[in-house]
Amino acid sequence: MLAAKPTHVRAALLLHDSLNIYIYLFTPIKLSNMRHLCSALLLLSCLFAMIPSGFAQKRTISGKITDATGKGMPFVNVAVKGTNIGTTSNDQGVYSIDVPSGSKTLVYSFTGHGTQEINLTSSNEIDVRMAPSVSELETVMVTALGIERTKKNLQYSISQVQGELFNRARENSVANSLAGRVAGVNVTKIASGPAASSRVVIRGAKTLGSTLNQPLYVVDGVPIDNTNFGQAGIWGGADQGDGMNSINPDDVASITVLKGASAAALYGSRAANGVILVTTKKGSSRKGIGVELNSNYVFEKVNNLTDFQTQYGSGGYSGTTLQNAVAKKPSSLDELWNSWWSYGGWGPKFDGSPVVQFDGVTRPYQYAGDNWKRFYETGSTFTNTIAFSGGSETQNFRFSAANLNNEGVIPNSGFKRVNLSLSTNSVYAKKLTVSTKILYSKENAENRPNVSDSPGNGILALYYLPGDYNVLDFKGDPNKLGAVPSLEQQADQGIKIFDQKVPGEEFQVGPNLWTQNPYWAAYQLINSDERDRVIATGNVRYDFTDFLYVSGQAGMDWFTKRGTQQSAPQGTGHNRGGGISEYENRARETNFQFMVGFDKTFDKIGVNAFFGGNRMRRYNEYLGLNGDGFNTPFFNVISNAKNKTYSYDFYEQGIESLFGSVEVSYNNYLFVTGTARKDWFSVLNPENNSIVYPSIGASFVFTDALKIAPTWLSFGKARLSWAQVGNVNSVRPYQTTLLYGASSTHAGAALGGFASGQNFPNPNLIPFTSTELEFGFELRFLRNRLGLDFTYYDQKTTDDILDAAISRTSGYTSTTVNLGEMTNKGVEILLTGKPMVGEFTWDISLNFAKNNSEVVSLIDGQTELIADPFTAEPRVRMVFIKQIVGYPYGMITGKTQLKDPATGLPVFNADGAPIQDGKYSIIGYGVPDFTGGLNNSFGYKNINLSFLIDFKSGGDIFSGTNARMTQAGLTKQSLLGREGEAPLTVSGVIQDGTNSNGDPIYKPFTKTLTPGEAQHYWDRLGNEDEGGSADKFVYDASFIKLRQVTLDYTLPRKLFTKTPIQNVMVSFVARNLAILHKNVPNIDPESSYTSSNNQGLDYFGFPATRTYGFNVRLIF
Amino acid sequence: MNYTRKIIFSIAVGTALVTACNKDSLHELNINPQALNSINPNFMFTSAQLGAASGSSPLIGDNRYLDWRTNIGMASTAIQQMGTIGGISNIGDKYGDNSETSSAPFEFYYPHLTELSEVLTQTGPGGASEGKYANLRQAARILRVFLFQRLTDFYNRVPYFETMQAAQGVFFPKYDSQKEIYADLFKELEEATAAFGAADPSDGFAAADLYYGGDIGKWKKWGYSIMLQMAMRVSNVAPDWANTYVAKAVAGGVFQSNADNALVPMAEGPSVWIDQNGISRAYIPGDGGEPAFLSKRLIDFLKGPDATSTADDDPRLMILTGGIGDWTPTGFTPVTTDPLKMKGLPNGNDQNRLDALEGHTVNVATTYSRINPLLLDRDEDYMMMNYGEVELLLAEAAERGIGGLTAAAAQGHYEAGVKASMQMYTIYDPSFVVSDAEVAAYLATYPYGSRPKLEMIGEQYWVNHFLNWWEAWSNWRRTSGDPTSPNGYPVLTPINFPGNVTNGTIPQRLKYPNIEVGNNPNFTEKELGMNNYTTRVWWAGGPE
Repeated sequence: MLAAKPTHVRAALLLHDSLNIYIYLFTPIKLSNMRHLCSALLLLSCLFAMIPSGFAQKRTISGKITDATGKGMPFVNVAVKGTNIGTTSNDQGVYSIDVPSGSKTLVYSFTGHGTQEINLTSSNEIDVRMAPSVSELETVMVTALGIERTKKNLQYSISQVQGELFNRARENSVANSLAGRVAGVNVTKIASGPAASSRVVIRGAKTLGSTLNQPLYVVDGVPIDNTNFGQAGIWGGADQGDGMNSINPDDVASITVLKGASAAALYGSRAANGVILVTTKKGSSRKGIGVELNSNYVFEKVNNLTDFQTQYGSGGYSGTTLQNAVAKKPSSLDELWNSWWSYGGWGPKFDGSPVVQFDGVTRPYQYAGDNWKRFYETGSTFTNTIAFSGGSETQNFRFSAANLNNEGVIPNSGFKRVNLSLSTNSVYAKKLTVSTKILYSKENAENRPNVSDSPGNGILALYYLPGDYNVLDFKGDPNKLGAVPSLEQQADQGIKIFDQKVPGEEFQVGPNLWTQNPYWAAYQLINSDERDRVIATGNVRYDFTDFLYVSGQAGMDWFTKRGTQQSAPQGTGHNRGGGISEYENRARETNFQFMVGFDKTFDKIGVNAFFGGNRMRRYNEYLGLNGDGFNTPFFNVISNAKNKTYSYDFYEQGIESLFGSVEVSYNNYLFVTGTARKDWFSVLNPENNSIVYPSIGASFVFTDALKIAPTWLSFGKARLSWAQVGNVNSVRPYQTTLLYGASSTHAGAALGGFASGQNFPNPNLIPFTSTELEFGFELRFLRNRLGLDFTYYDQKTTDDILDAAISRTSGYTSTTVNLGEMTNKGVEILLTGKPMVGEFTWDISLNFAKNNSEVVSLIDGQTELIADPFTAEPRVRMVFIKQIVGYPYGMITGKTQLKDPATGLPVFNADGAPIQDGKYSIIGYGVPDFTGGLNNSFGYKNINLSFLIDFKSGGDIFSGTNARMTQAGLTKQSLLGREGEAPLTVSGVIQDGTNSNGDPIYKPFTKTLTPGEAQHYWDRLGNEDEGGSADKFVYDASFIKLRQVTLDYTLPRKLFTKTPIQNVMVSFVARNLAILHKNVPNIDPESSYTSSNNQGLDYFGFPATRTYGFNVRLIF
Repeated sequence: MNYTRKIIFSIAVGTALVTACNKDSLHELNINPQALNSINPNFMFTSAQLGAASGSSPLIGDNRYLDWRTNIGMASTAIQQMGTIGGISNIGDKYGDNSETSSAPFEFYYPHLTELSEVLTQTGPGGASEGKYANLRQAARILRVFLFQRLTDFYNRVPYFETMQAAQGVFFPKYDSQKEIYADLFKELEEATAAFGAADPSDGFAAADLYYGGDIGKWKKWGYSIMLQMAMRVSNVAPDWANTYVAKAVAGGVFQSNADNALVPMAEGPSVWIDQNGISRAYIPGDGGEPAFLSKRLIDFLKGPDATSTADDDPRLMILTGGIGDWTPTGFTPVTTDPLKMKGLPNGNDQNRLDALEGHTVNVATTYSRINPLLLDRDEDYMMMNYGEVELLLAEAAERGIGGLTAAAAQGHYEAGVKASMQMYTIYDPSFVVSDAEVAAYLATYPYGSRPKLEMIGEQYWVNHFLNWWEAWSNWRRTSGDPTSPNGYPVLTPINFPGNVTNGTIPQRLKYPNIEVGNNPNFTEKELGMNNYTTRVWWAGGPE
């Protein structure tokens, strides 16, 4: 252990100093306040002054870098070969770099323009012309464990997305920006508000387990915690966000997606779902301090996709039989209230006559207009980032500060974020390189909206409003929105409080205590949290020679999430006493890593090898205070609670690893790599707590090797690889032994329970294995004007770890098991083209992927299985997402209308209502199997226009929203059969006795329903119980969306020649502008409310929004 | 420099760093500092006792769901003691379909059976506490029988023999017939009641036992009382069993007074979710706020045939109802508490039909008698079984000559049962005193035998189970399964609301939870075939 200390201590010291600065910086800072920033910079300078500078003999090389047309090229990387010394060209293409004596070569590189190496002569001026991309293949890519390789070497598919593509038109969570960008990466933005989590699935779902198939996120070489803090399930709730919400897109230089097992193999047990490497920006050698300012302001508007009927309002059907029932509007407040007529639209046709409403006030019986427009606000997101960078050849830094302020479309909600980042690099005596990065973020989610089930879900309440209701009438007390108004106000406005609530309590929409007044939900419910997070990395590398190095890395992701939840303030319909909870969650993940590396070329043979180890620890502690009932009325704070309880949770876990890799290349066109990693886990029992993950791959650049390629083929490479990775993240700590916990006390007696709750622990769990074979090729044609990258993969998961739902009668509701086999096979295709080059440029890129998944086997003897019933069943309880042997991952199953087995015709009862089949049948595919995106970019002089269209198909969605809205008489289909509308005729069979075996006999049945029967038909159809038919509400979830548009204009330099400003770019930016194609009515096909593995369920999620606005970037 | 040495040195140091912690210390990380390797089985028993009351425990969550969804949502109105025009009770009032109402007992009882199973495993052969906690073990067996009886009474076939065997790898138990389950429950009761020993002050049972404070005599009486109830339940389909077990129960000793009643103490805190009475929480306005009107059927019964006189009223009339009035979050404001003006809400109506029935727009809130809020304090005791019902069961057994009892004894049991039923309400409020004289007057007004005896017994059994509507519903279903009394006791008039799912018949069972239908491979066509509200359970004349 002693040997670790120097590295460890150094990293810790750096961290400590920087933290102090941040503390100073953060506390008083208003980011717009330049004085504080200046103070901060002063402090920073002090910090750098403390770091001793290296001294060496040097000379300065300068010059201009131009592109193919002779224009100066900004931001070209210039590096001294064999060192960490580097700079970039300014916006005119001019660069200047200090070169130590003894250095022989400068390396110039730029994305899309390959790399050029120029040997130094006696001249101190070198002008370089960058050819338009000999190949991106020469681009240096960050691969697993932060190892940099040129793309040409790689034996597997890897995709890099430049920060440029998502830091102008942006999302609050960077993960959502990947939608449509990378073949085989399926991104779902969860329909749960501005600070919600994302679901990113790479090459199809590998596991049914609780890792939710989310990739490992690594920021600057350090894995970060991407824990999902909770999400909505069958009983509603709010998505509590995940780890990627912390990252400021302005700090991201690039994101690399390691899609397959081979690419990710070196991460071993954490890599089964792929890895997303986020590389943040760093400083570079330059003269003076560079300053970059970016300001982004976008509006956000709800994209109302509903197309409901607007001719029938509050009311219902009444009669002694279904046949004679007629639509009736309320004749008294009693009738309205007791018949639950303040929801839905089953009344008669609007006639403008006066009619009593929920609050006893009489208003005209006519369409009241668009309540969505009245309730939802225009949201906005204002983001400002300032970054400073500078340094010499031996020391450089980049510091940035950013502030994001989001006002949500739901009133009184939003998301705020402050980011600070600092990165430094220092080289001592040419041998020792020390680099540190610290990212600090403070996120503040204000009132995360509830989705899915109704309690606290104002979105649902708004959906249910009858057409003649105006949501503004629900505001109630102007000083406490959503609350019962004062007695004076009641008298003034003639309001009658039918629900017997007193002023200050919830002003109820109707008798259903569980449906919240939307204003009460928005203004009185609290679900806010604040997260302080530090992601820190320290790297030390010592180069013994130019081919042998050792390096050490320490990284930490540490955060505290402090929240207040008041899902039911005092006076809430379903919880009059009210309750509150205050909680704090502290989490820390640390990684210590060392590596010994060797990189040398012997004539034509190159060898690149390294060996290393990693030690990971994760810790999580939760403290919660819960109170219910309040002594002083309406004083909703924890210390005023009548009853107080607390909750506590704690866990720790660790993984220890050794790994190694050997790459051998021949003549720079044939590469063979083998890697291995062994992991030991704390969460499994010692008998089976380790596993080895191997990989091997080869790539062959045949255009270089064979030299017989036709002239139209500029480049050709084939690659083949095989690897095994795994995952144990689905095993929570302490899950392998049945343990007990004593909890509270009732009437003086202690209550006991199981520490693992209703999950039955399994002592025999083993790590699961994902084995993948991948091959592909890359071809470039016509001098790189056209490119094709093709990948085929064949992946298999065995011994998947899953909390399987088991029968409650077994004693528990779930057990953790290793089970069966699942496969994913697919292709990924990336087509790139440059139809136009020159003054007018046009770049086009099209990516798409097809994934075929199959559940091959489950637990012995089981052909079907439900994982996580909380999210597998929607609130319309006639559907389960199931895994079924022989079918793709995540099938939607549901209760359908009973069919006559002989004829297949639907069975009705005598009233013409559907009879429900009690069994669950397959009714759809929950996950799309075809995804992709098309990006076009046009450039002309200072103007650049680009837009991204993305698409998914092959998946279905069960829309609980449509089922409920049909039941409530609000969808247009529910018009059929009403008085004065087209009649509803049903046709099928009806039971006519039973045969001698007791089986039903059916006879043909056709009936044109009376309005009363028709209302009953629709009411039954969208109801989960008797008559409910899930198949009637499953829709093809395919879509094509205009996901992103950016229009950039770079101002002419001459406008500000006499200012320090070097570059100004103004952009119009937009996200989610339009849905170009969809098949599901009234909702967004992407309105999944959960980021869990149970996809394909919609139920009153957060409405789709579009954002548009401006981005301004200034460079000094 | 020798690079080889450097490489070897670096690798050695690094590897040592990573693997400094050997397998054991890595494993130490996986020892939960907040959990125990073993637990005092008393603690598990107390959890189950609390959970049995209203489905709550630290693990399961909100205490009101079980009672609200099923006892109130289905049983209270299906058995026509409560009436409603809205709320979950509509399901029982109008014979609708609702997954939560149907599946709640299944979802909320099995977890407590897990806790009981843990007690039995630990105190059983090979368990950590084998041979210890002898009385706790027998009490756990009795409570287990009580819960399993309820489960099978609601669903007919349920998993029984293969349950609670996750540790043996049985994750999807098969379903067993009610007949087999009853046979085993009888055996369990017989063994458990016999196996109680003398109280052992050192075993902690007295402090842990929420029901009887460790009083072994009372546990035995409850065990035999359950045996009596079960025996009578099967009396139409298994008369031999009824004979055998009524006799055994009587010989063993059933409840002797209201002091023997099985009561679960509830409390205001520390948490509303598990400590407060779930029935109260479901009714209290704002805290669930289920409409709380007594049905016409019940009010008419309590008022007696002469609506213009209080002389023939049941003394329980103004105990069960608090009068007609507004019950708001700020309190109950009676419009009238005049017994003559009490009026029940007729079952099977919505506002429209009521308006038509009454001939004017009805203000429901101020028209019909409410449940008495004094029965519904949040810390009200939850009653599992009482002495009055035991006497009434004995009266029926005697009347039918079951278990060696003779008809001569019937009247005595009947009158004792009525008396106990009337006098058991003082636990809810000290003002709920019914004097011996009032009881006597009532019995004189309605002498035993003045109407068909079994019907009188059945009606009293029905009134006795106000709040415990589960049992009132089960007993009605059982008596309606008797070919000689197809209407059941009491005689109820089924309603036929448009769109009901039972063809206008009173529901006979609950439907299974969706998760069982969708996920348990041992849920077979047999269970699927009876998965509706109309198939009778075995003891009510339905399939095994």
